[in-house]
Formats: sequence, structure tokens, C-alpha cells
Amino acid sequence: MPTELLQQAAADNQWAAIGPELMVGCLALFLLILEIVLPKSRHEIIPSIAVVGLLGIITGFVINYHSAFVGQTTFNGLLRHTGTGQFLRLFFLLAATGVSVLGMVALKRQKMPKIEFFAITLVVSGAMMLLAQANHFVMLFVALETITVGFYILVSYTRTNPLSLEAGLKYLIMGALSSGILLFGIALLYGAGGSPALTASSMDSMNFDALRVFLYANPDNVVAAVGIVLVLSGVAFKVGAVPFQIWIPDVYQGAPTPVSAFLAIASKAAGFAILLTLVTVFDGYQSLVIGVLSVMAVATILFGNLAALTQHNVKRLIGLSGVSHAGYLLIGVIAAIHVPFAVGAICFYLFAYLLASLAVFGVMTHVSGDDDADQDLDHYTDLAKTHPFLGTVLGVGLGSLAGIPPLAGFMGKLLVFLAAFEAGLYALLGVAIVGVVISIYYYFGWIKAAFFPQWRPPVFEGDDPIPEPPRQVVSTPAGILLATAALASVFLGFYQGPLGAWLGLS
Amino acid sequence: MADILFHLFAFLTIGSSVAVVYNHNAVNSALAFLVGLVGVSGLFVLLDSFLLAVLMVLVYAGAVVALFLFIIMLLDMQGGERPPFSKPTAVAGLIGAALLTVCTMTLIRNFGGLETAEMGAIVPVGANLKHYADQLFTTYLLPVQVVGFLLLIAMLGVIVLSKKFEGMEDVK
Repeated sequence: MPTELLQQAAADNQWAAIGPELMVGCLALFLLILEIVLPKSRHEIIPSIAVVGLLGIITGFVINYHSAFVGQTTFNGLLRHTGTGQFLRLFFLLAATGVSVLGMVALKRQKMPKIEFFAITLVVSGAMMLLAQANHFVMLFVALETITVGFYILVSYTRTNPLSLEAGLKYLIMGALSSGILLFGIALLYGAGGSPALTASSMDSMNFDALRVFLYANPDNVVAAVGIVLVLSGVAFKVGAVPFQIWIPDVYQGAPTPVSAFLAIASKAAGFAILLTLVTVFDGYQSLVIGVLSVMAVATILFGNLAALTQHNVKRLIGLSGVSHAGYLLIGVIAAIHVPFAVGAICFYLFAYLLASLAVFGVMTHVSGDDDADQDLDHYTDLAKTHPFLGTVLGVGLGSLAGIPPLAGFMGKLLVFLAAFEAGLYALLGVAIVGVVISIYYYFGWIKAAFFPQWRPPVFEGDDPIPEPPRQVVSTPAGILLATAALASVFLGFYQGPLGAWLGLS
Repeated sequence: MADILFHLFAFLTIGSSVAVVYNHNAVNSALAFLVGLVGVSGLFVLLDSFLLAVLMVLVYAGAVVALFLFIIMLLDMQGGERPPFSKPTAVAGLIGAALLTVCTMTLIRNFGGLETAEMGAIVPVGANLKHYADQLFTTYLLPVQVVGFLLLIAMLGVIVLSKKFEGMEDVK
């Protein structure tokens, strides 16, 4: 390659465009340096520095939200900065902040290394932010692997607990398998798109723009079709869509609660960020993509809701309910192929899901005892009476997840369903509504456990009273997080307004 | 000549991959994996990607498989008894085989062969070290940096999951 071309390629690496990601990475390194430099007695402040740093990055990002890079490609076509990408970057930053606060609460009780949790969380969220802007399979895969490797560690983080180790092993094997499937699909697409025998083939067929052109020009290439199905399957693993949902209950149960929250919120959103990009790339194969995703969506909604009905462990329950949420979002993705505003609806749904999940997982972090994997519905007995704050937050969070009218989750579902209606997906819509009705049963079982008094055998004098389940004192940062999540869930239910327009979604 | 070599290496790769899965002894599996990697690197040579072929032998065949063997011997893993196929496994296997046959038949009937073309004047990225390095340090600089972070958190993970900490009781 001549020198001028090299210089030209190097000049396109505009690091200013990924300023927030760089800062998140530097913050992670800074935490590790602090662990070495500070004396052991001062280590407690490091998690707070992580949260404060993240809040600072969020503030800076919101101020520069409408950056000059939106609508451009940088890094030689590896990244494309879009309005949706900007929103998802903000989303991942918020998720990382929430998870870090929950991590502060949960790790305080464990004799575990603490700083590494925050450093890994930061690196993973930085990779998610890059993933949301990826415009090239190399970038997509590298970012995705960074996320997955980070989650391998986070899931088995409480290694004194056998269930956490088991979850880590299961996630490792399933994650490696899904990465293999995804990579196989990418290789087939690259091979088909790079074949000089076909029209519109490209030297750089891993670039999404080149690939889109190629797929339009060759609408019935069998290698590309197999590649597309394999890539969609690999991504379906990450979002937990049926038939690739098998790891969800065990991993959610074994992982530490903040990590389950991170998996539910950010990992799922990352999967949908990829899907939203890929459906536009695979536009030439619309009927194939719609077929595959529709079958997945129906199976996901029905399986997630029916399997959650019988669960007694709340972590498994919320994991399986998350599967059904992935199903509703898949309908949104299918609608987004024809109806542009479905992308905004998906973003709103994800944001409502972020708030509700943070509220519910936050309460779970506080209610859980020493054994993080053992969280039963019975532990929530009389929560509203003994701890009104946690009870209210839990009620709002679960109500929003179930989609009860005044809350944000209802608006999210309504917007996604409206988009599906406009796209004419009536059969899928019917399945989704059946799913929502089923889901109300198990969400209300949980609310019932927390709010309505349960019959107890009478305690006679002289007997030992039944021991109260352990209740955590809510620390200030966790209290602020929970209150914000609950209040925002209520607020966004009433008011959607120009916020979406400002975020570039509308 | 190139066709014969391609088929030779392809069968070597597929055959040894099957052997990896079906071997009872883990050491034999690792050695079969080694043969498979040599087959893959042969395929890379046929594609003019000499650098990738050398890297395949050096990194995977040389270092990674040696590491696998170390770990297998360290843990003293025995092949152990395999339980006979249970009924659901057998049924699932049959369905899988049937699906695979139908798919292959459809593919062959509808498409016959795939279009192939002569390798043009394209220089593959993996052809020589200079071209490869040029690409890594210009076009793909960002993914290289992200991989740096990936290795960092992998290292952190090793510390978290294996170091002895005060007052912590590991699972036996």
C-alpha cells in the first residue's frame, strides 16, 4: 500500500468521535491504578469514584449529544454515528451507572475482590457503546467478544457460591457456541460478498454498506442466505430468544444480582442494537429475515411467559420474563423493517425496561440474604409493611414490567404494538397480547407476596417468634437510584413529549 | 494440482475434527485437533495467505494445543465411561440427521455447484506481513485497541477467579 493511502486511512481514525468510550476506558484503568496507589483502608471510596466518574461522563455526553459526527462514518467505515446509536450510548452509560450502584450494595456483603467488578463493568459498557455504532463485522465481533468475555467473569464473580460457578461455566459454553455460530455466518457472508464471480462483490464485504449493496444485487444467493440465518441465530443467543434461551434461567439465578441486572438490561439492549443495524443491512433478503424473526418472536413470547408461570425463585422468574420482553422487542424489530417510527418505539421500550429493571433488581439486591442465588417469592412476604420504600419501588417496577397503564412500561408496549399494527403484523400482535395477559399473572403473584398479608400460624407466648427475613438498610446512593428509577417510570408514563425528538428518535 | 491439494486438506481437516469429537481419550482429541489445524493452515496456503498459514501453525498448533495438553495432563482427565444414548437424545439425533439430509438434498437439487472464479490480482490481507501490519495499524486500529482492553479484562478475570483472598472459602 502506498504511503499516501496509509496516511489517508490513518487520518480517518477520528478519536474525538468516540470520546465517551475513551473516557470510560480510561476510568476503568484509573480505578485499577487507584487500587495500587491508595492504602487498603481507603479502598472503599474507589466504587464511589467509578459512579461519580460515570455521572460526569454522562453529563458531558448529554451536553455534546448533538455532536458533529452524527450521520457520518469514521474509522474507515468501521463506525457509523446515528441518532439511534447516540441514544443507545446514553442508555449503556446509564445502565453501567445503575449496575455500579447495585454492585456497591451487593459487594459490601461479600468477601470478594471489589475493584475489578467496576473496572470490568466499565470496559464492558464501553464495548457496548462501540457495538451500537458498529458498521463493520470486524468491529462488531471484537466489541461483542469484549462484552461476552467480561460477562464470563462477572457471572462467576462470587466464586464461593457453587451456583455462580455453574452459571459461569454454562454461560461460557453457550457464549462460545453462539460466538462460533455468529462467526460462521459472518465468514459465509464475507465469502459470498467477496466472490469476484458475482455482481456487486466487494473487496471489503464485511463493511455493512458494501454488504447491503451486494445483497440487493444478489437476492437469491444461497450462501448469503445461510450466512444471514446463522448471524441472526448468533445474535438471538445474546438476546435470549427461543430456541436459544436455554442458558437464561440458570445463569440469571447463579450470577450475582447486579450482574443479572446488567445481563437483563444492557446485554439484551446490545443484542437489539445489533439486530436493528443488521435488518437494514439484510434488506435485500427481507422475506427471509421477517420469516426467521417472526417464528422466533412467537416462540419467545409464548415460552418466556409460560415458563415464568411456574417459577418460585424470583431471579429465574425475572430471567424468563426477560425472555418474553425480548419477544415483544423482536416484533418491534420486524415492524422496523417497514415502519420507521418502530425504531424510536424500541428505544422507548428499552428505556422503560431499563428503569423498571433497575427498580426491581435494586429491591432484589436489598432483600436477598447471604446466599445470592436463593431468592424466593416467600422472602417478599410483608415487604410493603416492614419496608414501605422498597415495597413501593418494587410495585412500580413490576407494574411497569407488566405494562400497567399509567407507567412507562405500558407506553413502551403500546408504542411497539402500534408500530406492529401499522406494519400489518396482526397475527404477531395477537400472540403478544396473549403473552401480556399471561405475564400479568406472575407479576401480580410477586406483588401479592409483597403487598398483601399472608396467613401465618399463630405464635403462642413462650414460643420462639418466626425469624424475620433479613432486611438491608438502603444506602443513600442506592436510595437515590431506586427513587429515580421509580419516579421516572411513573413520569414517562404520563409524558413522552419532545424528549424523543431531542434524542433524535421521535 | 491445486484441486487435489484442496480436497486432501479439506478431508484432513474434516476427518480430524470428527476425530476430536468422537475420541474417548482427551489427549487423542487434542492431537487430532492439532492435525486439523495443520489441514486448515494448508488451506490458507492454497488461498495465498501465507502469513495466516504460518500463524496458524505457530500460535494454534504450537502454543494453544500444547497448553491444552498441559491442562489435560495436569487435571489427569480420563476418558471415562460414556452413558449409552438416552431415548430423547436418540430421537433428537434422528430428527437432526433427517433435517440435515433434507437441507443438503434441497441445496444440491436447486443450486448444483456454487459459482467459483479464478483468484484475481487481489492481494489477500493475510498474504504478507507488511500488508497485514499496514492494515492493522491504519484501518483496523480501533479493533486492535479494543482487543487490548479485552485482554486486560481477561487478565483481571484470571485474578478474580483464581487468586487466594483473605477470609474466603472456595468451593471444594
